[in-house]
Amino acid sequence: MTKDLSPGEARTRQRNRREIITYAFAGVIGMVLGAVTVLADKGSGDLFFGQWETMVFDPTIAVILAVTIVLGFIALPFWSFTVIDELVRERNLIGYTGGGMIVMGGAPAWAVLHSGGLVPAPSVAGVWALGFFSTMIVFAIAWIRSR
Amino acid sequence: MKNRLKVLRAERDWSQAELAGRLDVSRQAVNAIETGKHDPSLPLAFRISRLFEMPIEDIFDDGETA
Repeated sequence: MTKDLSPGEARTRQRNRREIITYAFAGVIGMVLGAVTVLADKGSGDLFFGQWETMVFDPTIAVILAVTIVLGFIALPFWSFTVIDELVRERNLIGYTGGGMIVMGGAPAWAVLHSGGLVPAPSVAGVWALGFFSTMIVFAIAWIRSR
Repeated sequence: MKNRLKVLRAERDWSQAELAGRLDVSRQAVNAIETGKHDPSLPLAFRISRLFEMPIEDIFDDGETA
């Protein structure tokens, strides 16, 4: 027996389908990035493990990778804001804001600690990891607090 | 912010999922509003108000009402 859906319920189901498509697309982007970087890297670097300085790609491959990364890490998250509901949007905004603030304060703090001989020198991949993981942690805190 | 959403939902014998569908939000959002952990946006507050056919101030209490 098919249950008649209210407009709101239909939109909720549509939003859920879009969320699944978003995650699936993100997964595909991740797999494409992984495959291309493994197959096309002429150097000894590794995009996923922070060895960015020793990666060597043909210019065309580099552009394709850059566009894919921009789609996955910038365009897709922006688009996802249009398909998630306001609670999830609020958690995401808190996560991204927290991650951005931690990078803005954390990177110079890291540099100062390095100048004091306490930690290794800041690296591009390290600063990216700082932003990524701090965003995830702040998002998780926001998620727990709003449950 | 305190609210009467849980009571109003119970009066109509709706589940959180059913109310979420009627409001076009996730069930988690309804739960967070009911437990006071999330204040709804103004558009959502108006949707809640229209759904229950009550003024917003009869559903939500910011503690400032005399």
